[in-house]
Amino acid sequence: MSKSRVSRRQFLNYTLMGVGGFMASGMLMPMIRFAVDPVLEAGAAGDYIPTSQKVSELTEEPVRVDFTYDQVDGWYESEVTGTAWVYKEGNQIVALSPVCKHLGCTVNWASDKEHPHQFYCPCHGGRYEKNGKNVPGTPPTGPLDEFDVKEQDGLLYLGAAKPNTLV
Amino acid sequence: MNWTARDMDLYLQQSEYIDTAVVPLVGLGSEGPGMKQSASETEFLMNLTAFLEHQFKGRLMLLPPFTYLDKSDKARLASEWEASIADMPFKHVFYLTTDQTWSAEGIIGDAIWIPSIPLEHMDKKLKQSVLEDQVRQIIPVLTARWTGN
Ligand code: FES
Repeated sequence: MSKSRVSRRQFLNYTLMGVGGFMASGMLMPMIRFAVDPVLEAGAAGDYIPTSQKVSELTEEPVRVDFTYDQVDGWYESEVTGTAWVYKEGNQIVALSPVCKHLGCTVNWASDKEHPHQFYCPCHGGRYEKNGKNVPGTPPTGPLDEFDVKEQDGLLYLGAAKPNTLV
Repeated sequence: MNWTARDMDLYLQQSEYIDTAVVPLVGLGSEGPGMKQSASETEFLMNLTAFLEHQFKGRLMLLPPFTYLDKSDKARLASEWEASIADMPFKHVFYLTTDQTWSAEGIIGDAIWIPSIPLEHMDKKLKQSVLEDQVRQIIPVLTARWTGN
């Protein structure tokens, strides 16, 4: 009768081995994952996220557009609010990520009085031109990321973030 | 930066830029209504500090909340906290609290008191704009200190 039953000790051995194997594979994982910029990961679910911004109301002056999406990190599920700076360049819609390429603060358009036509990072004075190009001599080392955009029913949809294509 | 292994790695390389610590002070109420009140204030403060961290990720480190009880000896806690944070390489430290006793009695020098606003019945949009308004009031306090030296 007891033959077919898994003894307590056996059971513990099984489970511990299971955990051990799992941990071994866990050691390889981080190295792969770190290669992906978390900013780029955000939209990586692939789909476009709708915003409440009407495309017809966009002008050449960058405006802030907010959007929300669900994010699951481990067991911690949260609704994340993202932001983009959006403007029109001729017929093209440009949406830039507000995440500073230095250490990740949120940049604002025209918030520095001395540079009213630039994005400004309040953390260490990083600056970017309107197309996202970082101003040399300020801490950021690269241009602001860009979002894929599309228009649907007159509204702006934002896709995955990608390296800046305008600079 | 958040108090996570990944952000900490970045902090350890870039601590000259990330020179500010933000510490939420959370009071734990222990009887019925006090528990509800404490939960509501904690929710508000954690939302607020998360938002602040998001805006100023590259400049500040958000520490895990320091928690105290009704019966805690505040003066003793304060001196313990201040002493251990002084050992960390931060140039500026801000304690954020919804409990006026910390700032009013000057127990902690750098406590910023923010009146708690119950968020539980707000929809996301309203919640976000309320939090933004609050953060907008804190920013001048931070920047004043940052430009002060
Ligand atoms: S994080 Fe933007 S300049 Fe440092």
